Amino acid sequence: MPDGWLLDITESPDGRSVVLWVKDRSNGRVRRTSVDYRPPFLVAGPRAELLRLAERLRRAPTVAGCQPIVGRPSLFDRRPRTVLRVVPAVNSARRTLARAVDALGGYATFTLYDVDLSPPQLYHLEHRLYPFAPVVHGPDRALVATEAAETVEYLPPPLRVARLEVHLAGERRGRIPPPDGRIGMVRLGDRTLDGPEEAVLRALADEIARTEPDVLLTDGGDEFDLPWLYRRAAERGLRPEEFALGREPAPFAPARPARAFTSYGRVLHRAATYPVPGRFHLDRANSFLYDDAELAGLVDAARLSRLSLQTIARQSPGTCFTAMEMAQALAHGVHVPWKKNRPEEFRTGEALVASDRGGVILLPPVGVHDRVEEFDFASLYPHLMVRKNLSAETLDCRCCPASPWRAPGLGYRSCTRRQGLIPRTLEPLLARRLAYKAALRTPGLAPEAARRLRQRIKMLKWILVTAFGYQGYRNARFGRIECHEAINAYARELLAGLLAEAERAGYRVVHGIVDSLWLRPLAPEDPPDPEAFARRASARFDLPLGYEGRYRWIVFLPAVTHGLGVPNRYYGLYERGEFKLRGIGGRRHDTPTFLRRFELEVLSLFEGAADAEGVRARLPRALRRADLFAERLRTGAWPVDELLIAHRIGQAPEAFVTFTDSVAALRQLGEAGARRGAGETVRFAILDRASRSWRARVRAAELLTGEERYDVGAYLELLAREAETLLAPLGVRRADLLARWDGAARPPRAPFRSPEAPGQQALAAGAVGTFSPPTA
Amino acid sequence: MGRTAPTYRQALEERMKRWDAFARLLTTPEDRAAFELVRTGARRYAAQATYVGSPDLLESILLSVLTDLAGRLRTEAAERTRGLR
Repeated sequence: MPDGWLLDITESPDGRSVVLWVKDRSNGRVRRTSVDYRPPFLVAGPRAELLRLAERLRRAPTVAGCQPIVGRPSLFDRRPRTVLRVVPAVNSARRTLARAVDALGGYATFTLYDVDLSPPQLYHLEHRLYPFAPVVHGPDRALVATEAAETVEYLPPPLRVARLEVHLAGERRGRIPPPDGRIGMVRLGDRTLDGPEEAVLRALADEIARTEPDVLLTDGGDEFDLPWLYRRAAERGLRPEEFALGREPAPFAPARPARAFTSYGRVLHRAATYPVPGRFHLDRANSFLYDDAELAGLVDAARLSRLSLQTIARQSPGTCFTAMEMAQALAHGVHVPWKKNRPEEFRTGEALVASDRGGVILLPPVGVHDRVEEFDFASLYPHLMVRKNLSAETLDCRCCPASPWRAPGLGYRSCTRRQGLIPRTLEPLLARRLAYKAALRTPGLAPEAARRLRQRIKMLKWILVTAFGYQGYRNARFGRIECHEAINAYARELLAGLLAEAERAGYRVVHGIVDSLWLRPLAPEDPPDPEAFARRASARFDLPLGYEGRYRWIVFLPAVTHGLGVPNRYYGLYERGEFKLRGIGGRRHDTPTFLRRFELEVLSLFEGAADAEGVRARLPRALRRADLFAERLRTGAWPVDELLIAHRIGQAPEAFVTFTDSVAALRQLGEAGARRGAGETVRFAILDRASRSWRARVRAAELLTGEERYDVGAYLELLAREAETLLAPLGVRRADLLARWDGAARPPRAPFRSPEAPGQQALAAGAVGTFSPPTA
Repeated sequence: MGRTAPTYRQALEERMKRWDAFARLLTTPEDRAAFELVRTGARRYAAQATYVGSPDLLESILLSVLTDLAGRLRTEAAERTRGLR
């Protein structure tokens, strides 16, 4: 039995050590141990240059040590070479020092390794430890993990979770906090602390110290609860020692500032993070992964990636996968390049067109269909990477000129002698996911255990999904574009082969997307056995094709622009009674509640349909529902909070040049003192869509009184659009609906003459120049 | 994907914008309806055209449009024979 669990490793403020937080198994207490640790980074380059650099570095006060060693730092190194091992004087100087070295080499002479791995991450890897490892105290009190991080069945540490919720005096949560707001009440777990502000703060610190939670769980804590707690504590003159939310005092400042970033073409916002050393703060609102995978999934990911739970919760699955790659690389003596230095090779336009393609995406036939069966490859891309040994260093290797693995149509070979880094990282993840799935089928599994398994499976799914995308990301440390292309080429070939196989088996292809296939038996009265087909295809292509199920009916939706099918917009009902919805309102975050309600009503109406004919027969009833919704909207009595539209803004409020609903809401928020940055979401109700005034056009969610009169026409239009989206294949048109509901024509908008826009006046006055919108 | 070289679907839409001028000078509803058929035909086989990966955009568009038209001809012929019987 382990003595306890290693919860986390944090950086120590002195810059020369890391702090290990170990939870004792017998009494549940957490012990803090500080260990001297200053990890080196490596510098590679021409030998003579390295020796000259070493001379210089030895004299520098920011360097604690510097010596040449022999190694193979790069994934592409075939022979060992001399590299410089540099230890910074303090851990916080790692990057500064690395940048200086890089500059000394003119940004070309030297290649640096392991610079941006954090000291805790490196400590884990160097000592074969990982977050939540069961540990024993070995000789000289060193911690030793009792099992490998990759262990599939493990006992997770018992984590004490406490919800934390801060309320300002006289304010409702979720409204815009006044700048001088005071904390009136704090909830921690099931305790409520109130009274004078300073007493509440002190009581909170005491309560946390007494109950010793490991995880503080908040809803929007990065944005609101923690900054307000620290801000008010500072205001009240409390010192970090008197008001510690973590297990040791921490400065009242964010560890990472807020920032905006782009992902898949969207601008996203990440709130600042505040440290709570020794504990974890999980903010459901600032965590993509927590929502989907919850604690068990995050713990699993932390173990495998060697990243702290606190970090994992705030990062994307891609970061997680990268960290796993790094761990895998370092375990095999390969170091992590700081800057990827592998430009894409030159090629002809023709080659580029041929190679730069994605998977096969067919156009589905618009309409209601029945007797459709769905087949999916499970984790197709990761499996291909493993099967075909696709990795940056295994493509077109010099050792296997006659490799049988060649990307179809592109000809990239992959190595048959050494397993690549990516497949090596992915293989255990795939095995793990399968093992969890198998465990899930154990008879008599406790519901709690099943839930935990499902959370882990979800987490792994996300990580596996990103593993492919990261191959094509220009900054991915071990990524390579040719690898990305090769995977797509194999996948295209596979689906093309599968289409033919399906027809031979007695199916007609209805639709196909990359790794999924929708088929209809040619002879419905004598259909092929779907399970047998899946087994046969899996064996033939050596990849796991699964039978997802048969649909009672499925509706493929058309594009508004050209009326042909949209590959990823459909909804259907499996025979087992489960819906599959893609690309319709309820799946999107910005859909107002009243539209979700409408969608839900239509779906529950169609739930009774046994086949396509049944769906068509229910159309009149669906339309009557739409009429009822329209009627109720028209009375003006629909609760405004169900009409809120959410918009993620892609740029800073000042950067908008057109006046939109979002801009109006942003101005209102700005005036109330709540600035929103790029990537943040603004929610509002439309009050008068024709208005030119930012006060009258919409009302921001935070400022709603509940007395507002919403714009009936605007919402009827939204309803008509939603009804058309769902029912277009049944012949429903938006214009017909609007005509039927009558009076929803868009009112004309007055020409732009807003007295609120000084920029406009300046333009009119002839002051042509840069346009500076008013700041609220 | 689709950043350095546009995807087939992007290239197709781009080319179709050029066709707007063609459509603008069609003067009868029949011509305009026929032209819409050509557009639809061009879009219908985007998946297959992508799979070919030809550097010649027009080759892919023509294949798609012709296949669509040939399909319609066949259906019409089949309907006609059914009507004769």
